[in-house]
Amino acid sequence: MAEDKAAAPLLAVEDLVKSYGKNQVLSGVTFSVEKESIVALAGSNGSGKSTLLRCLSGALQFQGTAKLVGRDLRTRPAIRRLLGYLPQQVTLPESVTAYEALLFFARLRGADVDELILPDGFLPDLNARVGTFSGGQRQRVAIAISLLGRPPLLLLDEPVANLDERGREEFWKTLTELRDSGTSALIASPSPGDLGAAPDRIITLADGEIESDESWAGDKSGD
Amino acid sequence: MTDNVDTPTVPTTWQDIRTIAGWELRGAIRSRWVLGTAIAFAAAAVLVSLLGLRSLRELGLSGVGPGSAGLLNLAVLFPPLIGLLLGANSIVNARERGVLAMIAAQPVSRFAYAAGVFLGLSAAVWTTLLIGFSLAAVVVAGPAQVRDLGALLSIAGASLLVATVAVALGMAISALSASRTQAASFATAVWFVLALGMDLALAGVASSIRLGPGALMAVILLNPVEAARVLALLAASPDGGTLGPFGAYLVNTYSVGGAAAILISAMAAWAIVPVMVAWWVVSRRDI
Repeated sequence: MAEDKAAAPLLAVEDLVKSYGKNQVLSGVTFSVEKESIVALAGSNGSGKSTLLRCLSGALQFQGTAKLVGRDLRTRPAIRRLLGYLPQQVTLPESVTAYEALLFFARLRGADVDELILPDGFLPDLNARVGTFSGGQRQRVAIAISLLGRPPLLLLDEPVANLDERGREEFWKTLTELRDSGTSALIASPSPGDLGAAPDRIITLADGEIESDESWAGDKSGD
Repeated sequence: MTDNVDTPTVPTTWQDIRTIAGWELRGAIRSRWVLGTAIAFAAAAVLVSLLGLRSLRELGLSGVGPGSAGLLNLAVLFPPLIGLLLGANSIVNARERGVLAMIAAQPVSRFAYAAGVFLGLSAAVWTTLLIGFSLAAVVVAGPAQVRDLGALLSIAGASLLVATVAVALGMAISALSASRTQAASFATAVWFVLALGMDLALAGVASSIRLGPGALMAVILLNPVEAARVLALLAASPDGGTLGPFGAYLVNTYSVGGAAAILISAMAAWAIVPVMVAWWVVSRRDI
């Protein structure tokens, strides 16, 4: 299993560079994400975590290569069927219901809203308008959107930032179950301690470069 | 390796366009701004039609064709403002809210996104305008003659066309703008130039530069608002009489059908090119 993973990473990023004019925010970032693994992306504010996820999601242009299951992420839109993305901040239109928002993205993905795997009670009332939701409830809807179609790679930017304690527990439990059934995740978080026992690895960015890439013991004891 | 890694299946481009168009249409219809605009346009259209009819009765005339001038001005000046502002709010708003980043992460081509936004917003503006024209039609239905309904239909058609062009222009502005405020300001400036600025500029240079009918035609093709106005007048009065000597030039040089085809083609170009610009920008620039 370990040999198989090493031979074919799910995501392979090589020498990724992102600049805004003369300001280079990511410099030669190289790493990979194996199948069935959760990788935390740590680093202080402005280190480039969100920018890296935005590059991989298709929102930003960049130099270098990024391959998902061996295919260039920038070649055809169809490859994005294999990834789910949760931005750091998303403000869904307030006039739509949660179900309409889910249905919209599900149709774009060719997915089925009813096949979402989330604990009972995680999502707010799907028939209520997004405008009536709290920040945490909106975040739960956005998380659900990123999970539509069960993509094998999740790009999650601070997914639990607005969630309460119970919501966080439910989210990590769901993510761990997804990993065990074949999903990988790359999760940006300024505080790796918030990620608990979920990550298998932690990549730390500093000033747009990878400072360290190591296994993550985390809080495996549950203390 | 999981099954979903090996076999990505995506909807067709047309399905994506329909989905995005439906999303945009629903969002626009539900927004209070669009509802308010629809009510304002309907009220203005009815008011202008009633005033036109009253003037005709005082003059002892029948029919509403000549009295449609007020409605014509309303129909070619107001809808571009609606379309420009609606289009200008589209892409930059989605970008600021993070929704565009989420859409960009979906297996959807940027062409499908641009085309879907264009069709959805155009449908929203058409809905708004058709409500207004329907109410105006009800008002003028009593005293109208058959040819008057033709005039009303030609005005409505030109209005829908120029509104569609405005949506496309607004989208291009939206894609190129850094913020909603910038986009709205630029859209308003463009509307002013198209609705009034070019006329004022022409009036200013008219004394020093003598424009022939060919040059005038070129100037009209460069302004979709003017093209819509001429198209409506030409359709309402196929002999070109309401356009004066320029109308006679159009009819004699191109025929009514030929002139209409040129005007419609110019307006189609005015719609297609900005949508292509918006598509190019969302494809090549950071979201």
